[in-house]
Amino acid sequence: MKLKVYADRMSQPSRAILIFCKVNRIDFEEVRIDLAKHQQLSPEFIAVNPMGQVPAIVDGRFQLFESHAILIYLACAFPGIADHWYPNDLSKRGKIHSVLDWHHSNLRRGAAPFIWNTVMGPALGIKPNPQAAAGAEKLLLSSLSKIESVWLKGNGKFLLGSSQPSIADLSLVCEIMELEVLGDKERDRILGPYEKVQQWIENTKNATRPHFDEVHTILFKAKARLQKPPSGTTINEASKKGALHSKM
Amino acid sequence: MKLKVYADRGSEPSRAILIFCKVNGIEFEEIKIELAKRQQHSPEYKAVNPMGQVPAIVDGEFQLFESHAILIYLASAYPGIADHWYPNDIFKRAKIHSVLDWHHSNLRRGAAPYVVNTVLGPFVGIQVNPQIAAEAEKLLLSSLSKIESFWLKENEKFLLGSSQPSIADLSMVCEIMQLEVLGDKERDRILGPYEKVQQWIENTKNATGPHFDEIHTLIFQIKAMLQKPPPGGAINEAE
Repeated sequence: MKLKVYADRMSQPSRAILIFCKVNRIDFEEVRIDLAKHQQLSPEFIAVNPMGQVPAIVDGRFQLFESHAILIYLACAFPGIADHWYPNDLSKRGKIHSVLDWHHSNLRRGAAPFIWNTVMGPALGIKPNPQAAAGAEKLLLSSLSKIESVWLKGNGKFLLGSSQPSIADLSLVCEIMELEVLGDKERDRILGPYEKVQQWIENTKNATRPHFDEVHTILFKAKARLQKPPSGTTINEASKKGALHSKM
Repeated sequence: MKLKVYADRGSEPSRAILIFCKVNGIEFEEIKIELAKRQQHSPEYKAVNPMGQVPAIVDGEFQLFESHAILIYLASAYPGIADHWYPNDIFKRAKIHSVLDWHHSNLRRGAAPYVVNTVLGPFVGIQVNPQIAAEAEKLLLSSLSKIESFWLKENEKFLLGSSQPSIADLSMVCEIMQLEVLGDKERDRILGPYEKVQQWIENTKNATGPHFDEIHTLIFQIKAMLQKPPPGGAINEAE
């Protein structure tokens, strides 16, 4: 029985899993859980993940959720996956765990609520919370600053001074890609000060092409829809289809 | 060179590391970083952990922060540590990763801001914010509910249906212990509905011998100080 990956391509951690599987030629079936249609709350999906969030996997009888746990499991359980994705070396592995954990409380905790409270929420007809957006932006910017100065210290192409990507690069870059839906001007305002971050994003894309771009197609479609006001209506009334709330 | 553990016993994840080391006979030097005195911002400590947070470890030349990463590293790097703390089995290990990750965004994200924004804020120079406290309480209660209904299976003593504790039990129980500083009445109000959770806390304490209680002494001292109004002053003016 093939591995099943339950995902919504608008969800940052879902994309990280999909790209990882494709790059590493893991045979799997993608099961789309459309968050905009609240499919994550269906009884069928709750039986897969009682927390009602994407991504989740089912491997035979084994069920797992939380994207970092999934990435680690896949890197260990499937054959032929290059060591740099999740090194066997305990010290390197420890450092990858530390950046993945830091990500939860910093980059993700800033980026996702910022996007939700400025663009995504309103696109779904939900009133934005400017106070939450301001707090989230502050955390997002300080997180990018920490990536620039701490996690990308030195001359490595990837996090932790590495010359090759790990699951941490994939997870964090997929998170930052969500900023695209803010539009180029906003995205550039936010990422502009961080040159190493911008280069690292390119490095990660290059290391995972063409799958990186393919998995991000739906995000760019949502971006285009959000930028273009439909004739005769305001931007706030832009189509709700496809613009949605990813896993908080 | 001995392992160094930089910790503040008022910090939930610091306590998990200290208890893990003591229970497993790992030789280490505890270096106190007092958050109330802002020692985490000193240049010396920033050289250990640029994020300026506790806990952190230094093992020879290897530096590491983030408590879950530290617990996994110690369980893997040190000899003679029983498998149940961080099983070799890839499936059991994955489930432990999933609850540790869930913890970050749920239990910790509820419990810590709730305690800080009701009673502990003044100790660490943070102004209490009742709005944050209200949201945090909501998340704390729903997290406890998820532990009760999902993470604690029927008839087993620890998380994920295990008969023995893992690093996840230690991490999450240390988090919940912070509720003690709210006082017995508040703690009981919050934990009251969750019988399995209460039993699991006891199981984890029992499994970690005298070390659990010894490491939590400071929290109970803070609790006592917060409950006792100074003579002649109103309860609101308690230290």
